[in-house]
Amino acid sequence: MLAKFLDTIRARITRPLQYYQDICVRCGACIDACHFYVASGSPAHIPAYRMMLVKKLLQQPNHGWKGRGILGWYRETGMADERMVTELRQALWECTGCRRCSVFCPFDLDTALMVNVGRYALLQEGMGMEMAAEIGNAEVSKGEIIDALREFYVDQVRELEGRIREEWGVSDLRIPVDEPARVLYVPVVGEHAIIPLAKIFYAAQESWSLSLFTATNHSFFVGDIEKAKQAAHWIVEEARRLGVQVIAYAECGHATRTLLNFWDHWFGDEISGIQRVSVVQLVAAYLKEGRIRVREGAFDGPMTYHDPCNLGRNAGIYEEPRLLIRAVATDFRELTPNRELNWCCGGGGGMIAEPGMLEVRMKAGQPKVEQIQRTGARWVVTTCENCKTQLADLSERYGLGVEVRGVVDLIADALV
Amino acid sequence: MATLAFLFAYITPYMAVVVFFGGLAYRVFRWWRKPPAPAHLSLFPRPQSRLGRLLDALVDMFTLKGLLRVNPLLWAGGFIMHLGLLFVLVGHIRAFTDFYFLWKLLNWGKEQQHAFSAVAGTIAGTLFTIPLFYLLARRWSGAVKWLSVPEDFFVLFLLIGIALTGFHMRLLRTVEIEELHRFFAGLASFRWQPVPKSAGPAFIWHFALVQLLMVYFPFGKLSHTIGSVLSKMVARS
Repeated sequence: MLAKFLDTIRARITRPLQYYQDICVRCGACIDACHFYVASGSPAHIPAYRMMLVKKLLQQPNHGWKGRGILGWYRETGMADERMVTELRQALWECTGCRRCSVFCPFDLDTALMVNVGRYALLQEGMGMEMAAEIGNAEVSKGEIIDALREFYVDQVRELEGRIREEWGVSDLRIPVDEPARVLYVPVVGEHAIIPLAKIFYAAQESWSLSLFTATNHSFFVGDIEKAKQAAHWIVEEARRLGVQVIAYAECGHATRTLLNFWDHWFGDEISGIQRVSVVQLVAAYLKEGRIRVREGAFDGPMTYHDPCNLGRNAGIYEEPRLLIRAVATDFRELTPNRELNWCCGGGGGMIAEPGMLEVRMKAGQPKVEQIQRTGARWVVTTCENCKTQLADLSERYGLGVEVRGVVDLIADALV
Repeated sequence: MATLAFLFAYITPYMAVVVFFGGLAYRVFRWWRKPPAPAHLSLFPRPQSRLGRLLDALVDMFTLKGLLRVNPLLWAGGFIMHLGLLFVLVGHIRAFTDFYFLWKLLNWGKEQQHAFSAVAGTIAGTLFTIPLFYLLARRWSGAVKWLSVPEDFFVLFLLIGIALTGFHMRLLRTVEIEELHRFFAGLASFRWQPVPKSAGPAFIWHFALVQLLMVYFPFGKLSHTIGSVLSKMVARS
């Protein structure tokens, strides 16, 4: 088992991973960065320890020479045992990939990148988040059967469209699907990701089309980059077929990060000339340009904003959500710390999809709970589907009594 | 003992230099032959322009400003140690040549040069050494003990050993720098000269430990010297 595991992981060591392992001085600056370690006190949750574990594994002698003697002692290679496997599972699966530790690291080492590679290798051995991996597979195969699904999907959207028209009293509101347009909006699963945008696009008189696919990419969570690419490629094809100028992703952390920071590497020239944005950036632009107007102070009471790791420190979207919130809130309060030092909600990295991880993520959310309590907020607003689910679960478990909302929901509710 | 001293003075220095540069080249080659980063691994906020990002990475590398923000105590330990090391390294230029231009500019005689070196060298050495003991103590404290492996202790003890033998020469002997110049010029030209007597017995130990450091340097965590600029650039790519 070990030999195959090592081969899988070795084949996926890229240049940064190679020097991350070589140069980490184990100074311990990352100890205070990880919400898992802060909540559990378990060494396998320290980012540098996660790195060390994989490094130790990679230094295991392959065959013949057993790594005994002084070099074996020096490299601590004699421990590929049960304890190591337990620690490895903890280190690689109990991580949200939030990269807060990279901000703390004096060398900016990216532990999450290594965790991602390690996860893939573990999964090949049948150890880990199989549910998330299965959803990832479904996202890949969806593209192959999309023609069979289209009619059913369009029917559902028409029904939703009818409901919004009735509720809003506008007969000309449309939810275009699979039509040539300027903006291709890619939602996440569920009508809550479509309704607010249908209203906002209507108000802004945008030429848009709803994607047949969803932004979420579970293969990315489990480190299967080949499949992650395949799943995202369906959206690239759709965008090119419809001749759109802009691809806008729903409020979804990991998908937005891949869209903004990975697509250049994944698709290169295929996506040249297509602007890629988070829907939050798009809506903020509408507000700034005066294409939509909102009721000032529509939400009366203390409100705070949680920077999702993948939109904040991993994609640099800090100002747009704040601009939108300030337009509708009367009492906006920042979390401390915030922005790139914000605590992760504890639910990222695909854990939401995995029922067995509930207790792990509830525990990892403790720093977040304390942070929210200190603000005294009534609303916690964020821009990531994962964070929303996790924050709502935390609120229920720890009795926070807060309402969790997305930024674009607020805007849709406050439209005039 | 005399044989060992002879080896450390005249034979192993050449090996150390070869291993040091060869090892660094091998290290860079090992990085270079791997496939490049799979995506933009940026951390935000980051400067917009390429030049801005390079400057930000370099400023962060030389000031550790990111660490200062999250862990001031560790920053102080790390930063002061590296600063002391930099001063010490600059001071060691005097072992091979001298700051002739500077002395001329200041119009300082032998006496003054020597007094200045004694004071500056002691301060630099202290800045370097005291944080090393802090970093060593830290290795056993709290969660850091989970992260401490033999290599960490090896490096710290090696650096402390080099510092203490250095202090021995600085504080307990009066080193004739002409002797040093002759010795190193001899090594460089393969026309061996006697080991500097005025430096005392600590000299050969100091010299041997530095060679050990040079041999180890490319193969362990000290390769962060060259690797950290790469990781900082990748985090701003």
